[in-house]
Amino acid sequence: MRTLIDRRSFLKTSAALAVSAATGQYVTRNAYGASRDRVTIYHSSVADSINPYNHSSSPIYGNWQHVMEPLVELDYKKQDYVGILADSWQFQGNKWTFKLKKGIKFHNGAPLTSKDVAFSIEKMRDEKGGSLQAPNFKDVTEVQTPDDLTVVFVTKQPLAIFLDRLENRFILSKVAGDKFGDKLYDNPIGTGPYKFVSYQRGGNMVFTRNDEYWGGKAAIKEIVFRKVTEDAARLAALESGQTDFINNVPDHEVARLQKHPRIRVDKIEGLRMFFLAFNTSFKPWDNKLVRQAANYSIDAPAIVKNIFDGIGYPINGPVGANVIGADPKLKRYPYDPQKSKELLTKAGFPNGCDIQLYYSAGRYPKDREVCQVVAAQMVKGGFRVELISQEWALFWDKQGVNGGKLPFYYIGRGSLTDADTLYDQYLRTGTTKRTTYSNPELDKLIEEQQKTADQKKRIAILQKAGQIIMEEAPFIPLYNLADIYGVARNLVWKMRPDEKVLGWDMSIK
Amino acid sequence: MFSLRYLKVWVGGAIVMLLCICGVAAPLLAPRDPQAQTLEDRLRPPRWNENGSPAYLLGTDNLGRDMLSRIIYGSRISLIVGAATVIFAGLVGCTLGAVAGYFGRGADEVVSKVSEIFLAFPFLLIAIAIMAFLGQGVGNLIMALMLSRWVQYCRVVRGEVLSLKERDFITAAKALGGKDWYVLLRHVVPNTFASVTVIATFGMAIVIITEASLSFLGLGVPVHIPTWGSMLSEGRSYINRAPWLTIFPGLAIFITVFGINLLGDGLRDIFDPKLRRQR
Repeated sequence: MRTLIDRRSFLKTSAALAVSAATGQYVTRNAYGASRDRVTIYHSSVADSINPYNHSSSPIYGNWQHVMEPLVELDYKKQDYVGILADSWQFQGNKWTFKLKKGIKFHNGAPLTSKDVAFSIEKMRDEKGGSLQAPNFKDVTEVQTPDDLTVVFVTKQPLAIFLDRLENRFILSKVAGDKFGDKLYDNPIGTGPYKFVSYQRGGNMVFTRNDEYWGGKAAIKEIVFRKVTEDAARLAALESGQTDFINNVPDHEVARLQKHPRIRVDKIEGLRMFFLAFNTSFKPWDNKLVRQAANYSIDAPAIVKNIFDGIGYPINGPVGANVIGADPKLKRYPYDPQKSKELLTKAGFPNGCDIQLYYSAGRYPKDREVCQVVAAQMVKGGFRVELISQEWALFWDKQGVNGGKLPFYYIGRGSLTDADTLYDQYLRTGTTKRTTYSNPELDKLIEEQQKTADQKKRIAILQKAGQIIMEEAPFIPLYNLADIYGVARNLVWKMRPDEKVLGWDMSIK
Repeated sequence: MFSLRYLKVWVGGAIVMLLCICGVAAPLLAPRDPQAQTLEDRLRPPRWNENGSPAYLLGTDNLGRDMLSRIIYGSRISLIVGAATVIFAGLVGCTLGAVAGYFGRGADEVVSKVSEIFLAFPFLLIAIAIMAFLGQGVGNLIMALMLSRWVQYCRVVRGEVLSLKERDFITAAKALGGKDWYVLLRHVVPNTFASVTVIATFGMAIVIITEASLSFLGLGVPVHIPTWGSMLSEGRSYINRAPWLTIFPGLAIFITVFGINLLGDGLRDIFDPKLRRQR
């Protein structure tokens, strides 16, 4: 038996090695472009737990939506809900009735039935089991399953905005649940366009294409998510070709990145709305004229242009243009420091007015710079501003915003898709102490739209509320910032305002 | 050798003098209001750069404020905080150290234990904890730094006093009927001044760096007062695009600390009894 390598096979092997060494460089360079086989996404926020209900964060909903699907979803363009697993629905009294689509199969081959929906809702309500999504069903008293394709939700009182609560509530297979028991979450079986492959905390989360998907096959075979929180690390990974897609590109890096031969920068208006809120139980903010004066004194477009390099969207009216209930006819208060001074004089502050502006440095992008500019602008409008930065916990908790202890503060409300959320949370009498604003007329409108099932009518009511809010000026709307993505140039995807990154919305050019 | 020893003191002293002039005469020296924002002129490079504007010698920062004026005004905080901390910490530390060293027994026991507790924590950590508790402000900053710095003086003075009080001239003073407090203040304490001066100068350099660190962390003075530390902190996210935002405040801190250290080094050379004997 010969153990030594003969001359011929030695030459063969070395030739093969030489070729691979020579082409290796080429192969690595090619890896810059995304491939049809696998797209790697480095995101600042990826699931922190194998339990798909153990969070309530938009980008993480995007992770799990690869595997599991909701009954309904918000179509941002139409500003209305569309059915995903639900074919149709009906709202009557305190009942919501959903008909499921026929012929949808789970990844394990079991058909989708109303039992799966009831089972999944039960899992979502299981706070002890780690679910953070239970509050969405706090008004639901019963989930009925009269037949295989019908689900009925019974609520305490008529709840027109229930579709909003059902968004991002994903359905798991009950058959799998019965089979795996406690180990259910290790084997997430849904109906989605991708199947679950693996998850490592702090490592990769891998999905592979579901070739039998009821809604048509996705273009990309495998999707890999990885959580990378450091901006610079994500950026470096994209530039070196380790990943095809990153989120949160810092705005001052955009210009540089756009010059990169294989990378494109995509921007879309985000859903986090930034504003300066007054607590109207404090002087001088109890006076409408002073609140209007403050609105006149601030130049939000200048802040966006200079601090955020123009990558942002000043808000016209009380909420951003993409929010349900926004009124395209409304305009923001123009920047007019002279008018501000006049209003202050009228309100009894001819020599200007001392105020304090609170913020929590480091919580939001460039907040320290923004607040310094705001202070300088307000000085021109006749205010004397003291800036106070607090730790987030102090700022947000009972000693701060939520205890009604801060008279005037800079804040961002995330995932704002519906004006109802903001009005109900900040401006309705008695909901929170954040503004302690109270206006019976506005309360009535908020209540009325929450009972209105017809979306068009509901939007009309929200717009009417918006007009009152602009006149009353209980806060100073500033801007929405952009969600900025760095993407391999050959990757095409559908941008969404809600921070979700979805593999089946991607393809390769 | 003689002249070289004094050279350090001269150079260090000159730098410190220059800084003091900068701080005192800031309104006269600064070409602009350090707080005035001109957003259209933001991130202008220094004057000698091709895009620089003659109006701004060291360029402008991210809000269009004049860098030179901010650095000149920034020296005020560094000097006020540095000097005040050194004086107050020195007073507290020296008094406690002298009392503990001279009277010994219970007083020594208490002071030593308390100072050991303070020594057990890294000094920046104490400063951070106190600032988080007190909140922002120049007074609070001085307070926090003083509380974390007095131990140094206390330990050194106590040691000196322990050895001094055994010396013959102290025994003589006592034999002449000098009361304890009289002897302590008239004969013992003045003899510790040399070493206290040296720790004070080095201490000042450390305090200035700590002030910058705390401001960098957002725990220092309120945001509307320009300080070198907060300038560094705000400028660091622009380091690729506008490096002058970090270079100049960094240089200012470096030169100041260098000058003070040089001065301290020179003073130590002069006061050190061993070196004195060699002369």
